[in-house]
Amino acid sequence: MLRSSVVVTIMVSLLPLTALVFLAIESTGTDWGSLLTDETWRDSFVTTLYVVSVSTGLSLVIGTWLARTVVQKGWRFLSSVLRLPMFVPHIAAAYLIWLLFSGTNGIGWIEANERNYVTVILTYIWKETPFVFLMMLGTYEQLNRGYVEMAKTLQLSPVDQFKHGELPFLMKPLLDSAWILIAFISFAYEVPALLGVTYPKLIGVLAYERLSTGLYLEATEPYAVALVWTCLVGIGVFLSYVLTASIRRRIERGVRR
Amino acid sequence: MSLNVQNLYKQFGTKQILNGVDFEVKPHDIHAIVGVSGSGKSTILRIIAGLESTDSGDVKWNHRSLIHIPAHKRRVTMLSQTALLFPHLTVGENVTLVTRERSRKQAEHWLRVVQLGDRYDAEIHELSGGEQQRVSLARALAAEPELLLLDEPFTNLDPKLKLDLQRFIRDLVKELNLTAVLVTHDREEAMLMADQVTLIDEGKVTRTGTVAELYDTAPGFGDFVMLDGELRPLSEVEVSETTGVTVQLMKKIYRFGQCFGEYQFKDGRSVMLPTRESYQTGMIYRIKRKEE
Amino acid sequence: MIRQGLLICLTFIPFISLFFVVPTFEIENNMAIVHTIGLIVILSGINVWLSMMCAWWLLWTDSRWKHVIEWLVFLPLFIPMLATLFGLYLILAEAGLIGTYVGVTLALLVVTIPYSIRLAYNGMAVIGRPLLEQARILPSRRRVMYVLYPLFSRLMRTIALFTTVILLSQFALIQLIGAGLIPTVTTELYQSYAGNNRGLALSNTWMLILFPVLLYFLLSGWDRYMVRMLKGRLQ
Repeated sequence: MLRSSVVVTIMVSLLPLTALVFLAIESTGTDWGSLLTDETWRDSFVTTLYVVSVSTGLSLVIGTWLARTVVQKGWRFLSSVLRLPMFVPHIAAAYLIWLLFSGTNGIGWIEANERNYVTVILTYIWKETPFVFLMMLGTYEQLNRGYVEMAKTLQLSPVDQFKHGELPFLMKPLLDSAWILIAFISFAYEVPALLGVTYPKLIGVLAYERLSTGLYLEATEPYAVALVWTCLVGIGVFLSYVLTASIRRRIERGVRR
Repeated sequence: MSLNVQNLYKQFGTKQILNGVDFEVKPHDIHAIVGVSGSGKSTILRIIAGLESTDSGDVKWNHRSLIHIPAHKRRVTMLSQTALLFPHLTVGENVTLVTRERSRKQAEHWLRVVQLGDRYDAEIHELSGGEQQRVSLARALAAEPELLLLDEPFTNLDPKLKLDLQRFIRDLVKELNLTAVLVTHDREEAMLMADQVTLIDEGKVTRTGTVAELYDTAPGFGDFVMLDGELRPLSEVEVSETTGVTVQLMKKIYRFGQCFGEYQFKDGRSVMLPTRESYQTGMIYRIKRKEE
Repeated sequence: MIRQGLLICLTFIPFISLFFVVPTFEIENNMAIVHTIGLIVILSGINVWLSMMCAWWLLWTDSRWKHVIEWLVFLPLFIPMLATLFGLYLILAEAGLIGTYVGVTLALLVVTIPYSIRLAYNGMAVIGRPLLEQARILPSRRRVMYVLYPLFSRLMRTIALFTTVILLSQFALIQLIGAGLIPTVTTELYQSYAGNNRGLALSNTWMLILFPVLLYFLLSGWDRYMVRMLKGRLQ
């Protein structure tokens, strides 16, 4: 029963990889030159990079700080409360944020769709910080506080205490969280479609709309863009894991000993 | 530079851990705090190190209160039960990190002091437990502390290694003229290493004195005999009738490298028990307490 | 205390928006609700089962393929969802599953299973092997009922909830794979967000939030009842 379930899971997990193969096949015939010089795609790419880096960066920092604080202070009630936004669907979260900041009943700080994508960023921070919090909470609960205390008694500054007593053990979960968030946020549709502007659209919105309208002549472009974006994320994941592999192995061996 | 611990009280939840702990550590002394698990001895050390706050009382170093000074500014370093070497750094990098100018040269000096001069580039997992504790010691000393705290650092080591390291650290601390506070549940260890001992029970100091003073009057500080180069409790020593030797114990103070003391045979002859260096293989001595 | 209060307020602030306008609670398409509930039940069940089995295998089975399979099951987390969706669209079109319930279910399973396995893996790792090994002295049925189920019930609840939330967040996937033939609460509600009827949009938001909340209370109540019943049997 165990083995058959694992086999089924493997088959399901192979589908995304198979999907990439189909994307590659469907992308043949794309005019790559025209795609790479297309201003619409380029502006979309730059805006997406901006939204992804701000949302991911802030979610990681806030989520990690929250996990650290909750474990150090033993704030169990807060630990439960902080998970709540995870159970609000993204589309509902987007609408709540929009209502909060828009005019009439809200604060009135922004237009219905805001050109700096502030509401999109806020939605992702509100939704993804609890995810990062959960990922880091387990790590902090299992972290040996002895290392930080040792760093204190060795007269290291608070920055060095964090750098040498905590950060090495956060490396793997932080890397995992960062890339999961980047993959999720960068090529999403629902939230940026609802809260974004007409131009520039985020890359996921642009790709989906061009695919789904059926009127667009360059039908292979959305597939090509999806493939390229996935490859870029894939290269980022690969490089970051390879570059940190030796230090992560050293930490694992050093702690075990 | 003396350490004064004054009237420390500490509670965790509803449990009172320390109940007015008071003692003084003289300059350049090794002072042992001896007590069973849960007696509060590690809490005292953690308060001195700045890792715990105190409910009331004070800790003074060289007449200056340490209570409001953060741990990383107290010039107090600590050796723990586990070496806690930072796993992402090599052996040498662990020591270099704490030197004043992040100097490799200084780190290499301290590694030579602990006899690991050739292991600068080694990985942590390549070292044995004892070697890791020696690196931890080098690191603690490289931070140029004024006070060294030892929180049962020999607990996880095997007996032979423990004895070697105890002697090593004791000699080194004396050589460097440091002041040190050792926390242990092991009375033998306290006897072997310390100049002064404080006994603690249920968060209160029950006795303070030199090893010799406590040995004569405090319960549990039993007799020892050097056998096979190891200091062992009297209860472990077997009597061999074939040697035909009966020795009556007259003095009871033990130290590394020193003579045990003078003993008198029943027939009036006296004999000096061998020092560690002059031990004769195969001879077993029966030691009787003076009171028997 | 003040810091905790501030953090709690910041977490709850967006919920204030739910009370800005009185919701109208119009339900236009009953089939959408039926489809949604059906998908929630089926997907949660499959996700809990597969993720718990897979996480168990990854954590506590010796196999030389373990590292490879671990990478394989977690790799989809790093593939953008929409990219997977585009490729799945092509695969399912070849298989003739576009516009079918099966196709939509399969597509949703592909996007939810990596997160479920991740949650199960982390949760089981925290519980740890020694505790579970102690349970091996019991026969398998008792082991599952009296040890594994109580230990894992909270984890399974989290996986079910997470799956539900991801499902309710999917508009593009269901529109593309379902070809507009499989209405769900989300696809129906998405139109109201673009329109001017705030009351309708808010009532739809209430519904989207209430689904996971109701599921949470339902599952919690069931867990508490089951644990109480099992404890009663032990006495």
